[in-house]
Amino acid sequence: MRGYVAVLLVGILVFGAIASGCISSEKPTTPEKVEVSLTGDFVKDVVNIGKALESNGVNEVKFTVWGAGDPNSVMRVYGIVEAAERINKVFNENNINVKIVVDTNYVASFQQLFQDYLSKQPIGQAGDFFVNSYAFIPTLAKEGYILDVTEYAKAYEKELSDFYTPLMEASKWKGKLYGLPQDTEARPLYIRKDVAKCSGFDLTKLEEKVKNGEFTWSDVYAKAKAAKEKGCSEWGLIHRKGSAHPDLIQFIFAFGGTLYDENEDKLVLDVPAVYKWLYVEWKFARDGILPEDIMSWDWAKQIHPAIVSGNTLFDIGGTWYWAEWQTKDYYVDPKTNEPRGLKPEEVDAWFYYTLFPAGEKGQKPVTLSQPFVWMINSKAGAQNPKYDELKDIYQKLAFLMILKASDADINAIHSVISSHLPVRKAAEDLIKDEKWLNDLKNLNIDISSGVKAEIADIVKATVHPINAKFLADVSYMLEYTHLAPSHPKYPALADLFKDAVDKVLRGEMKPEEAVQFLIDRIKADPELSASVKIVGEVPKDWQFP
Amino acid sequence: MLTDVEVRSKKTEVAITIAILMASIPLFLAFSLLVLSSFSKEMMTNLSLESFRFTIENWINVLQGKLAFTGGIRQNILKYTFNTALVALGVAGVVTLISALSGYALSRMNFRGRKFLLMFLLMLHAFPGVALIVGVYLLYRLSLPSSPSLVTTFSFMYVIVARAALEVPMATWLMKGFFDSIPWEIEWSAIVDGASRIRVWRKILLPLIKPGIAAILLFGFLAGWQDLIYVRTFLVEPTLATYIEANLEAEYSHMPLIAAAGTLYLLPTIIFFLTSQKLLLETHSGGIKG
Amino acid sequence: MKKYSNLFQLSFFLTPALVIIIVFYLLPLVLTVYMSFTPIRNWNTERYLSQFIGSYNYYRIYHMVKYDPIFRQVMINTIIFVLITLIVNVFGGLLISLATYFINEKSSSTLRLVWLLPRMSPIAVYSLVWYYFFHGSEIGTLNSLLLKLGIIDKPIVLGQGVIPWGPWSIIVFINGLVGVSFGMIVFSSALSHIPRELVIAARVDGATNWSISRKILIPMIRWHILYVFTWQLLSLITSYAHTFLLIEWGLVNRDYGTTLSLYVFLTAFGRGEQDQGLAAAAATILAIIGTVLGFLTLKILKFERMIAKPRGDI
Repeated sequence: MRGYVAVLLVGILVFGAIASGCISSEKPTTPEKVEVSLTGDFVKDVVNIGKALESNGVNEVKFTVWGAGDPNSVMRVYGIVEAAERINKVFNENNINVKIVVDTNYVASFQQLFQDYLSKQPIGQAGDFFVNSYAFIPTLAKEGYILDVTEYAKAYEKELSDFYTPLMEASKWKGKLYGLPQDTEARPLYIRKDVAKCSGFDLTKLEEKVKNGEFTWSDVYAKAKAAKEKGCSEWGLIHRKGSAHPDLIQFIFAFGGTLYDENEDKLVLDVPAVYKWLYVEWKFARDGILPEDIMSWDWAKQIHPAIVSGNTLFDIGGTWYWAEWQTKDYYVDPKTNEPRGLKPEEVDAWFYYTLFPAGEKGQKPVTLSQPFVWMINSKAGAQNPKYDELKDIYQKLAFLMILKASDADINAIHSVISSHLPVRKAAEDLIKDEKWLNDLKNLNIDISSGVKAEIADIVKATVHPINAKFLADVSYMLEYTHLAPSHPKYPALADLFKDAVDKVLRGEMKPEEAVQFLIDRIKADPELSASVKIVGEVPKDWQFP
Repeated sequence: MLTDVEVRSKKTEVAITIAILMASIPLFLAFSLLVLSSFSKEMMTNLSLESFRFTIENWINVLQGKLAFTGGIRQNILKYTFNTALVALGVAGVVTLISALSGYALSRMNFRGRKFLLMFLLMLHAFPGVALIVGVYLLYRLSLPSSPSLVTTFSFMYVIVARAALEVPMATWLMKGFFDSIPWEIEWSAIVDGASRIRVWRKILLPLIKPGIAAILLFGFLAGWQDLIYVRTFLVEPTLATYIEANLEAEYSHMPLIAAAGTLYLLPTIIFFLTSQKLLLETHSGGIKG
Repeated sequence: MKKYSNLFQLSFFLTPALVIIIVFYLLPLVLTVYMSFTPIRNWNTERYLSQFIGSYNYYRIYHMVKYDPIFRQVMINTIIFVLITLIVNVFGGLLISLATYFINEKSSSTLRLVWLLPRMSPIAVYSLVWYYFFHGSEIGTLNSLLLKLGIIDKPIVLGQGVIPWGPWSIIVFINGLVGVSFGMIVFSSALSHIPRELVIAARVDGATNWSISRKILIPMIRWHILYVFTWQLLSLITSYAHTFLLIEWGLVNRDYGTTLSLYVFLTAFGRGEQDQGLAAAAATILAIIGTVLGFLTLKILKFERMIAKPRGDI
């Protein structure tokens, strides 16, 4: 029997050796590479590429786009579809017999999609276009999974200068450009006007006071406490939960702290700022103004209903809340006792919004953005014929597609229907244009019929002058925006932050203990501790409020 | 089929039924709420009827391949269902075939290393899929066909065999158990008549262990149907499990839609299980005592 | 000639299983051990496979074991979780299959179906179901039930408040249910193979259900019990999937809900990067622990004696 097993083993090994030999012995024949150079004239470049494809016998180019996000953000993939249609039109007008066909894949969980991309990219089965958070760029770029488009972008410098600089910077890693920004958002501090009125909190000129750093978190604390004590609302403050959504690190910036050291390419644990952040959370929770178990509240059944039904004075949320409250049934109408979405007029009448105030006097107000970026797979076009010869053509075509998908109107449509902020000035201008908005509402716009049909129901539910005005009103916040650091280890650090916040909120730890806990946990993992620099000390005699 | 229905007491039977029912209350409750929620505008979680507002929109949306009310994107749910079924049936087939072969050998043949093999099979479960997946993925990468057009097909074959492999040790053990319960004499006479072991196995034993085969098929089917990790890592196409998983985002998913999708996902298995139950419990009629 | 034909027949029956074991267990195991000495991450085999970093991944685990303030708790969680869940699984499965054995077929198959649901549900949906069930506020099913019955007047925050048994009981419950159905299927199909004549004869002699179970049924399915016991022990050590989302969603306290395998999973694949090198090192360690534990169980339960000689080898 032993002999039998041995024979079998040898057989398998021989088979394996032959098989692997077969694989490695395939000598790659170097094909004649076809290349075009980008001129910066979009139509001309499209025509050149189209002709090159046609002369190589390629009449159909297939691409797949992968995107993720909330259900209203489907333009993240349809933008590419629309871009393909527009390029097809150029081909058509110039009598070029080439057609781009785009397959779409859109899911809710962007982290899941990222993991899928990681496991499928190496085997050439991931989307040719990948729309996801800029936070994943370091990892993807490091592994060579996405295309460096720095060179391509040079030809279109003029067009790209319309994009907001911080967003273009967010699409870079180590100085190289890895995509084009697709959307972004701000995280306003929402204030219930009715609760404010009840507690005698005067909102006039508040925005100005926040902007110049006069109104700080000590004031937020005082007002929140007053609202609760006067019985105007159950809570003073509600905020988001989880670590994928980095809202709370706004405190670090609001207390003048930092999270990233560019020179050393290291994350930073800014002890004084983190301590102050945790102290604020701790204080709010101890005084019963902020639910101590907020990190385990249910989104749809607790967090949003509490905000829309006025159970809190303040809420740290995102710009997309504005649309979400209208499209989801979080509010129970006291007249009918039926849950429903809010009307645009109601949201506008009930909520005041401002920047995230400065932590203390002498600091600046902040907001936080997590831009999404259109990235191109480093294997883009691989499912098309003659890939080896035409690789360069396919990649450039892909770049032209994300460029086209950033057309002002496409970007503006996305912003309006999903309550995100536009990435370029031209799109921001469109949003402020009432006529354009009206045309969008009536779907009287120049986009292909397929895409139009797909977004019709979202347009109907969300396009409203009030909503567009909101977006225009909060756009200025981008001047104050901060980004979470672009570092492969940042998500791990964010996870620790979430734990620490949870512990202080529940009163399991005092702020200084939680800071120590963070330090200990960072040091526990050699990999993490090598990427995080711990600076400063817990400030003595610091007072809050 | 023989039962001892005549001799057992009705009263204890009722008592036992009630006892299991009591123990099943949380399960009943939790899963009924899931099914009910799939017909409601919001999740039913707190036993108040107010949260139940009837709608079949969830189901319409799910069957159209949409997991969002406004917006979202239509997916080919029929294809995903087909993919899931293909993997599940593939796993069931491979596991059953392999374990029916090896189970027989371990039950009926004596060879050096038999005891070791039996123990070894049991130990193999020390490192279930999750732990081995890194190695299995590397193997996948090394054996991937170079032509991209074959990758999809290959990924189906690979995921079926790789997932089946996880069930083989247990299935083999179970099959051995089923073969053990068949009296040796049945086989003996055929072998004396000059039939080969292979022929005896195929013609005489396999029909006798039908319930066992059904059980293993069910096992394999369930394993393939509910698998998430292997499918997500290897299969190029989505299945129902990966589709639901990727669209369940605590912050903004409309949970009743997820409930409908989850119920849909459970349906075929329930049907499969109900129909195969009979087969499963069907004891073989055999006059010969072991 | 005879010998040759025997060998041929044996290989006919055994080759497929051996091939599959070699290809999908032994080979991946070797590859896993190899990869644990490389910095492989993000599935980038081309880049990292040929890099050798020695025992860095093991050192990293050792370092975390030694310095992570939550690690001690993780170990305690793991031991409690594995032991209690194991008992729940094996005895629960046995109890249900025995109980359903004694009742009529129709109700038994329905009941069994209910107990099978946990196993068949997609993990995310399953987690969602229990997330709402145990939620620590009025929206939680359990809390609202107890509130309605007047047993409590304030919601119990089981997963976060009742430390440590609250989070422990939730993870044991949720994993236990999945395991119970596994044991139930194995035991039920084994029981259905016991000749009914034996049971009827005993009953005619006036035996109770209890003594039938104890004297006839359990001894006849003892290797199944042993099998389920060992299998569950080993798989519980490596299971994390059913707990992961509940911790993620804040239902279960992270410090008291995290077990060893989840800890490794979170470190290696938590977010952002996917560190397969670290996972491979952990898998290697788990494989060793698993083998030792499995071996011990088999020895303690005197497994070898239970392997009977095959009948009818010619």
